Amino acid sequence: MADRTANVTWTGSLLDGGGTIERVGSGAFGPLEVTWASRAEEPEGRTSPEELIAAAHAACFSMALSHGLSQAGSPPERLETSATVTFVPGTGGSRR
Amino acid sequence: MPRIVREAEISWEGTTARGSGVVVAVSSGAFELPVTLASRVADPGGKTSPEELLAAAHATCFVTSLGSELARAGTPPERLHVHCTITMDEVRGVGHRIVSSSIRARGVAPGADAASFAQAAEAADLGCPFSALIKGTATVTIDAMLDEGGS
Repeated sequence: MADRTANVTWTGSLLDGGGTIERVGSGAFGPLEVTWASRAEEPEGRTSPEELIAAAHAACFSMALSHGLSQAGSPPERLETSATVTFVPGTGGSRR
Repeated sequence: MPRIVREAEISWEGTTARGSGVVVAVSSGAFELPVTLASRVADPGGKTSPEELLAAAHATCFVTSLGSELARAGTPPERLHVHCTITMDEVRGVGHRIVSSSIRARGVAPGADAASFAQAAEAADLGCPFSALIKGTATVTIDAMLDEGGS
């Protein structure tokens, strides 16, 4: 079992305010700024939930692929994995 | 709300057990981070992992959803703080799965009371795309309270 943690603070409104991924449990990154504009429009150097999950998926998939190749008797020397995550607004959900 | 596309990539050298990778935020360039299996399943040793990246993603998405719900209720927040814990575990007969995401939210929202803050948090969970995604295999729990100190 693996528990992993992250802390985010947001100040002000969605459109005019901004947030910070202050720290993560490992200490590997943070603080990282996030804003609505950099999430929904151009990143301008700022990460977003969609980019973070693209990173998570690419990392998890490459470990799984490496494991599968090793089990098949052909351990990899090098793997390149990229993930593109697309978010499309839904027509249902919580919009009331 | 717009369509959003974001990209990341990882280069992995060697086997899963002994190798290592570097995960890169391609769209923003905001980070470039080493990962290993050991840092994922045992002590992180200062390295990130898919679970930690997901915790950061869920916390970030949830905080924007909660802010939107509070604003919609006429009590826009001054400040919100969200902590997320992602747990990956072995599920018997299935394999490894993300089994829970535990969100703790605290904030200052003038005009909101304990009940309306809790209601906004519940609506935020329903509206948050990452809560919806994670619920594919995991339980999402929300612990939301106003900061009494007002700081």
